[in-house]
Amino acid sequence: MKIKNASAIAVLLLLCGCTVSEKNVSEKELFAMDTYMKFTAYGDNSEAALSDVIEKVEELEKLFSVTDESSDISRINTAHGCAVNVSADTENIISRSLEISLLTDGSADITVYPIVRAWGFTTGEYTVPSENIISGLLENTGYENITLSENTVTVPEGFQLDLGSIAKGYTGEICAEMLKNKGVSSAILNLGGNIQTVGEKPDGSSWKVAVTDPFSQSDIICTVEVRDKAVVTSGNYQRYFIADNGKKYCHIIDPKTGYPADNGIASVTVIGDSGTYCDGLSTALFVMGKDKAADFWKEHRDFDMIIIEESGNVLVTENIYESTAFSDSENITGTEVIN
Amino acid sequence: MKKSAVFIIITAVIFLTAAAVCIFVFSKNESDIVNIKSGGELLYTIDLSKAEDCEFDIEYEGRVNTVEIKDHMIRVSDADCPDKICVDTGWIGGNRKSVPIVCLPNRLVIEFEKSSADGFAG
Repeated sequence: MKIKNASAIAVLLLLCGCTVSEKNVSEKELFAMDTYMKFTAYGDNSEAALSDVIEKVEELEKLFSVTDESSDISRINTAHGCAVNVSADTENIISRSLEISLLTDGSADITVYPIVRAWGFTTGEYTVPSENIISGLLENTGYENITLSENTVTVPEGFQLDLGSIAKGYTGEICAEMLKNKGVSSAILNLGGNIQTVGEKPDGSSWKVAVTDPFSQSDIICTVEVRDKAVVTSGNYQRYFIADNGKKYCHIIDPKTGYPADNGIASVTVIGDSGTYCDGLSTALFVMGKDKAADFWKEHRDFDMIIIEESGNVLVTENIYESTAFSDSENITGTEVIN
Repeated sequence: MKKSAVFIIITAVIFLTAAAVCIFVFSKNESDIVNIKSGGELLYTIDLSKAEDCEFDIEYEGRVNTVEIKDHMIRVSDADCPDKICVDTGWIGGNRKSVPIVCLPNRLVIEFEKSSADGFAG
């Protein structure tokens, strides 16, 4: 009888095991921050927690938008050099972006917005600005000119901020913290290709996050396994145009030159604990180029990265090289370890 | 044969049957099912493994995306959005169960119910 009972229990356990990952799963999706977001969370409190997270995303979007006239960022951009009172989140994200700018010697800079506009990346009406226009606009950029002081932000007349290079990472990080505080220990947040994970999968395994093939966007180049990390990619395929001269210009502007970064990199993926850091770094490392990015990693080693060169060569930092599963894409011409 | 051995065999058979049922129930064709959503509303759920070749339009606030299904793959073949990112994404299906096709201006999303990864960075 004991064995019979054991058999019955075993079968029940097996069936339960099959369904555990499907139970208590909540999904929410929305269009926000100029992207499609999809959040999936597991556990008893996941539905209520995700509802709160959606509210937070909408709140942050209202603060960070460059098009909403009442947003903190719009008020800063139209303040003609006056100090503007801002929310704690706006102060926090600007403070974090300044840290990253300082750390990367200005390779990521939230003041390049006037130049991004001049190239037409905000409207889709693309144009190659003249050198005179670019050099003129460069005078109105530079993160060093942002003054942050007790809930107020001041930028000089003519300066404009855009948090596009960091807002999704920051939002993902804040949402992950919210979920954890509400008792959710397993979730994956997709903010338009900007991935933030909470804990591990409900079955205890790692989250599998694929990196998009920059040469064929419906394919993947590789898959990484992560727990409680953010995975953020900046790529030249995300927004670009081809000018009359046949040259391809991507939306990632080198803050030092005012021109789109063009250094042989197709995409940079950064994996780390902080979504804000990963988002800011992915832009900065893209601008730096392969060699400087590798040097930066060697100096800091507090994140991992995958660089895909235009040649199809894929460089991966040593900590994740072994666990990175490369696809059989014909676009991969080689792989290299950064150590 | 000892009674205990019989029970062990029975247990093993039940185990294997239950496992097979689990695999069947939870994996049947799910990876071929795509959901097409417009403005956050689920319009179609299509099993690509059974879908016939076809082409149809999806309208959102007067703007149109043309969706094409061919050889059990799906794509946005044409769109009146300014950036055409949805068209550039190309075909998904078969071995390409990866990124969703998203048209932000027209609020269109075509995505697999079960993808080959938990998330797609890029």
